[in-house]
Amino acid sequence: MKQVRRTLEFLLKAIVLLVFVFPFLWMISTSLQTLQETLRFPPTWIPASPQWMNFVTAMNAGPFLTYAKNSVIITFSIIVLQMIVMIPAAYSFAKYRFFGKEILFSMVLLAFMIPGQVTFIPVYLMLADWGLIKTLLPQIIPFMSNAFGIFLLRQYFMQIPQEIIESARLDNAGEFKIIRKIMIPMSMPALATIALFSFVSHWNDYFWPLVMTDSAGVRPLTMGIAMLRETEGISNWHVIMAGNVVLVVPILIVYVFASKQIVRAFVYSGIK
Amino acid sequence: MKKFSTVLMATAMLSGVLAGCGGGQEQSGGGTGASSAQTPAPAASSGSGSGGKVTVQFWHSLGGKNGEYIDAMIKRFNESQSKVEVVGTFQGSYDEMVTKLQQAVAAKSEPDVAMLERAYVQMFADSDVLEDLNPYMKKSGLSESDFTPGLMGHSTFNKKLVSLPFNRSTPILHINKTMLDEKGLAVPKTWDDLKKVANALVVKEGNEYKRYGLSMPYDTWYPIAMITEAKGKFFDDAGKSIGFAGGEGVKVFQFLKDMQSTGALYYPPAQDSGNIVNTMFTSGKIGMMFQSTGVIGSLSDNAKFEYVTAFMPMDQVYANPTGGANVAMMAGSKNKQAAWEFLNWAMTDSKGALQFVLDSGYLPFTKKMVESQQMKDLWAKQPARKVAYDQLQYAVDTNKHVNWTQVNQEFLKAIQAIMYDNKDIASTLDTFKKETERILKQ
Repeated sequence: MKQVRRTLEFLLKAIVLLVFVFPFLWMISTSLQTLQETLRFPPTWIPASPQWMNFVTAMNAGPFLTYAKNSVIITFSIIVLQMIVMIPAAYSFAKYRFFGKEILFSMVLLAFMIPGQVTFIPVYLMLADWGLIKTLLPQIIPFMSNAFGIFLLRQYFMQIPQEIIESARLDNAGEFKIIRKIMIPMSMPALATIALFSFVSHWNDYFWPLVMTDSAGVRPLTMGIAMLRETEGISNWHVIMAGNVVLVVPILIVYVFASKQIVRAFVYSGIK
Repeated sequence: MKKFSTVLMATAMLSGVLAGCGGGQEQSGGGTGASSAQTPAPAASSGSGSGGKVTVQFWHSLGGKNGEYIDAMIKRFNESQSKVEVVGTFQGSYDEMVTKLQQAVAAKSEPDVAMLERAYVQMFADSDVLEDLNPYMKKSGLSESDFTPGLMGHSTFNKKLVSLPFNRSTPILHINKTMLDEKGLAVPKTWDDLKKVANALVVKEGNEYKRYGLSMPYDTWYPIAMITEAKGKFFDDAGKSIGFAGGEGVKVFQFLKDMQSTGALYYPPAQDSGNIVNTMFTSGKIGMMFQSTGVIGSLSDNAKFEYVTAFMPMDQVYANPTGGANVAMMAGSKNKQAAWEFLNWAMTDSKGALQFVLDSGYLPFTKKMVESQQMKDLWAKQPARKVAYDQLQYAVDTNKHVNWTQVNQEFLKAIQAIMYDNKDIASTLDTFKKETERILKQ
């Protein structure tokens, strides 16, 4: 009986895994095929000879070095700025009592619920008016605060016992020292989760860069890959997929490093 | 509590809008940032600036190979003279371009020249943001009669010539001639022929179709073509309702459903349908397809069989819509003279759009291009492309309306209901007619 259950469990896991891994494998396989192989039906799985040149073709199709640099600067700045804004905000929402706290917090939740598609026109007009469209800032400034992050981190901070903070205060620790020495180290899993979500969503974002940028010099990788698609006719899927592999690799690397923390974040907040 | 914060939020957003609009005029140059900093005064409109080059921003939607061809054309222009520097920038798909252009017009950061999918031209013409090209044409000795008439359907609105054809295409019948020859079938010229040939090509094993006769991408373009072939019009002449309620619409979809039921027609899933049918065609899973002329190049490169093209088969008449994009000059441009220099060069110089058309496989759109030796040589090599041009004599655009995009969405819904969900044709089209009338009234 136990054996049967185990086998079933294993099968189920294998199926779920396959569903998630399948598109990845297909992407990698396609990125190494020739155009003829991508057009074959039924699809080719193992390319006859791996076409590493596809990566070179993709990278030469535009100023990919600039795109990559922009992607890194944008995502990195967003994460750093978000941390600077988010941690003190979450701390005050979790541990202080002050006038208007409820209103302010409900505004944060509201911001969390409004999608970017609703606000992009006024935001664009404002930033254009400030003369920032030719810079990277329109892709960074609107994301300086992360409502979801503030919300998640506040929940996490609230679980940290008040006594620890009180005793730190007795030892003459200032508020920023408390944040630095107690709150941050104790909430690493939550911070890692937020940072990773933020990283993935901004690294992969296509809509926002599309509407906020007019010139190649300030565009991220996602725009470069969209450019590889044909307007009409047969798209060079092998080259597009090579571009996508390049786009996805950093996410996988970051995930490998952050995955432990993320699992912990979910386990801990689940127990409480 | 919640209400209060909503109001606060709304105020904050509104003040953002106001700031955006109000400030626009006093420092309209702000939006264009670097480029306007280099070319200080709008004095540049008189042609060349006092010092360096005048920069002309050109927004387009061409990615992949076509993106390379347009970049090459821009480079040729920049090297051909020393006064104007054209900067071409990819702005996403045709639809995304519309969004970008709308917001850029509002922020006064619009480009000088923009590529517009032809059905969207009217919308922008209607809001008066496109420059009338007639005076420029006159000065340069160009006239409308220099262009292919079938491609000028989306150019003149309110007596203003607001766009010129550029990367234009039209639906056409693509045929796997080898497959037809094996069965001793002739290339279909009428719907009746088409049905017979398509049915003859079907290969069925058990309950599974191994091969279909005909296919087409999921798009409103092909049903519109067939409606006009049945002598219907998409919109009626008054522009108040659809023009195929007299049975033409039912006829088209009944014809398609009949073919679908026997495997003569494969109607692809909506997502990425163009790529799906192309792949099935090149791998011999379908014998014929309605598809854009834009794919001729890639099909002839990838087909391992004798590949030919033919006119869209006729019902009552030969007829076909056109597609692809035009180029337009923005009324808000500060470098109109320079922008025109670029457009004029593209339209007339053999290194301009002619070379782009030869490279990409889009339709030649001026008489000079058609008569050029390069075009004749290309057609001798690839007769499939000549057929595409010849078919233009039957080009007719009957889907012209400012609210076309909304109607297009509704028509797609009707196509889904009929082709995927087997809904009753007459009642679905009736619902579509009512929706259309409501939208057209707006």
